[in-house]
Amino acid sequence: MLRSISIDSLMPYFGVVLLVFAGSAFFPQILSADYLTQQLQIAAFLGLLATGATIVILLGHIDLSVPWVLTGSAILSTSLVGTGNPTLTFLAVPAALAFGALIGVINGIGVAILRIPSMVWTLAVNSMLLGLAVLNTGGFNPKGESSPLMNAMASGDLLGLPISFLIWIAISVGLAAFLTRTPFGRYLRSIGFNEKATFLSGVSTPSVVFAAFAIAGMCSALGGVMLAGYANQAYQSMGDPFLLPTIAAVVIGGTSILGGRGGLFGTIGGALFITLLTSILSVMQIDDAWRNIIFGVIILVMLLFQTLRKGAVA
Amino acid sequence: MSNSSTPLLEMRDISMHFGATKALDGVDFICNAGEVHAVLGENGAGKSTLMKLIAGVLQPTHGQLRVDGSDVFLNAPQAALRHGLVCMFQELSLVPDLTVRENLLLGAPAAGIGWLRGQGLDKAQDVLGRIGGAQIKMAARVADLTLPQRQQVEIAKAIMKKPRLLILDEATSALSASVVEKVFDLVREERDSGTAILFISHRFHEIEALADRVSVFRNGQRVETFMKGDHDYAAIINMMVGQKIEELFPEKPPPRQDAEAVLEVRNYTWEGQVKDVSLTVRRGQIVGLGGLDGQGQGAFLMGLVGLLRKADGTTAIAGQPTRIGSPKQAKHQDIALAYIPEDRKTEGLILDQSIQENLELAALGRSDLDAGDAALYAGALEQLALKHGGLELPVSSLSGGNQQKVVLAKWLALKPRCLLLADPTRGIDVKTKTQIYAILRQLADQGTAILLLSTDYEELIQLCDETHVFFDGAVVASLSGDDLTPQNIIAATLNVSPEPQAAHA
Repeated sequence: MLRSISIDSLMPYFGVVLLVFAGSAFFPQILSADYLTQQLQIAAFLGLLATGATIVILLGHIDLSVPWVLTGSAILSTSLVGTGNPTLTFLAVPAALAFGALIGVINGIGVAILRIPSMVWTLAVNSMLLGLAVLNTGGFNPKGESSPLMNAMASGDLLGLPISFLIWIAISVGLAAFLTRTPFGRYLRSIGFNEKATFLSGVSTPSVVFAAFAIAGMCSALGGVMLAGYANQAYQSMGDPFLLPTIAAVVIGGTSILGGRGGLFGTIGGALFITLLTSILSVMQIDDAWRNIIFGVIILVMLLFQTLRKGAVA
Repeated sequence: MSNSSTPLLEMRDISMHFGATKALDGVDFICNAGEVHAVLGENGAGKSTLMKLIAGVLQPTHGQLRVDGSDVFLNAPQAALRHGLVCMFQELSLVPDLTVRENLLLGAPAAGIGWLRGQGLDKAQDVLGRIGGAQIKMAARVADLTLPQRQQVEIAKAIMKKPRLLILDEATSALSASVVEKVFDLVREERDSGTAILFISHRFHEIEALADRVSVFRNGQRVETFMKGDHDYAAIINMMVGQKIEELFPEKPPPRQDAEAVLEVRNYTWEGQVKDVSLTVRRGQIVGLGGLDGQGQGAFLMGLVGLLRKADGTTAIAGQPTRIGSPKQAKHQDIALAYIPEDRKTEGLILDQSIQENLELAALGRSDLDAGDAALYAGALEQLALKHGGLELPVSSLSGGNQQKVVLAKWLALKPRCLLLADPTRGIDVKTKTQIYAILRQLADQGTAILLLSTDYEELIQLCDETHVFFDGAVVASLSGDDLTPQNIIAATLNVSPEPQAAHA
């Protein structure tokens, strides 16, 4: 984990500190524990999605099926709970995770075996999932509800910290250890830099691609389950607003969109930064149009900072 | 056309420092119009830096460049181009995803904003035709071309810029002998029409064939400049490294035809590009694969590690019939093949990663090895004398020769029982070549079977116990012992029957 802490990955953390202090100059309540823990809770949803996206981006690919894997798993889990059957209720979360993994493997097949660019393949998968969800629910919000477990995962507290935040960090730390301590992590980065050389070094690159997309699918599914728990229900298009912030969080966290370089530590900072920025901009009650413009400009500035710094080194 | 008293290009007291490293140190250098000027030196002697200064890629820390007697400051390749200084770099500079035509037009005169004009394309097509690249289609994607074809396109691209001074930096390293000859004819013609040519090559016979004047560089300084023929090979090598030519290759031990077979291939055939190839590599043998480029020897080598689909034929490793479907299977300890690919920058190494990470990548998937164990690599690194500033540095910080040492060490860590090498010394300096020859011979003595594909027939003769020459996908000659002569190899590569030995040998 330590090795993945670079200046790039520290940038969003500086950004977070800056946002908190600058924001508190106008709105002192930003410094309150209530506000900050609430941000941690909300950041966990984006953070889980970004964790999965980081794995795929390190590989040099991208997963655009996040929104409807999220929505699909939310629908699946709430429908299972909605049956009232205790066994099915118990199976809600594992089933959603299995669904995420399955879609991940389908993504992997397209990318590693059929060799279709991930940007196109995962977009098509996303679109098909959308269609399946509409067929399944007739276009209305699906019936069903979240289970107490899902509610607790999304909104519970443990030792004064939101459980959602703890789950996110636990998964990030686990995956980061997995990425730094196992050959899988090395293969992932190597493929991100140069897939051909990695394959010629005797690495079964398709299995690495499968595993990476499956992990990403499970992260998206878990995000969907927890969002359903947060809202107490699933609804159509609940994942749509998350796609671009997810990718932004990964890139702001210092992971190269071209693959190979970066890590999960930065992504945690990136998700915190994006969540806080969104929240503070809405607290400030400025026009929606301006909020979008400011959001875009700040992200550009963060990225320019990274590029300029690299230019200075090279 | 130019005043003979004013040189086309003059460099005065040029120094180039990268941090503490002095790549060039107080160099004076003159290049005249209508002359082929060969620049010799080991990797790291400062040749490439000198060329980059002339091409405007780098600016000197100290010193002055003069073109036609007046001072110039070349702050960008475009500035050099305006003075007619054109460089064809050793690092292939084509954009893989564009077509040949698009690549040729990149950076061509008047190819800025606006419509692409086909000016000069005829010239390029003509040049391609003359250097044996007529079959290269303008609409082909560069990524789909073979390495030699890409080099031919590079040459055409350089010539169509109508240079006054043309730098050829290892321009022919991937080309086969017959194509090289055509390129040389073209270069001579350019020279005769007044172009100055700066020629960098590690192949002595090319310099012998082409150069008018030779400059030798060592450690960032120009050792000497002399007319070709003033010194023999041995003296020139001495100037470069202080080594004699007979010391280049290790002594060949007597052949051991009775040793057990490690790799036996029978009737290997693939998609009309490899035709019914059978060969055997025994313990302790170095077997060469020769031939013009693209005659199937490269594909054959790839096929052995499972890179070709739908290939026919049988492979036996140490007597056991074996099917190898991927490099992962090939490196498994029960098979233990190691394949060193042709292009170290895109196939052999991951340039953005550290030396250490590159070394470990092959050993990682082997359950019987601990990839983190430095002792796995220490032996090979020490023997190859890898020059590095720390194993945690990116492998891209190394020179070409040292990069190739990393590729070798990475695979030698697996203690392969059979080593397959695709032209491992291409574009590498003499000293590194010697080190690679030595380690190959030593591995063979320790019982490794080695299959060596080479475009340098000196290697096929001096290093190999037996050489199979490919033509049009099939082995047309298998030479060993006294039959292993340059005449026989060249005759076989062209698929003609060898001349009587006595002719002019």
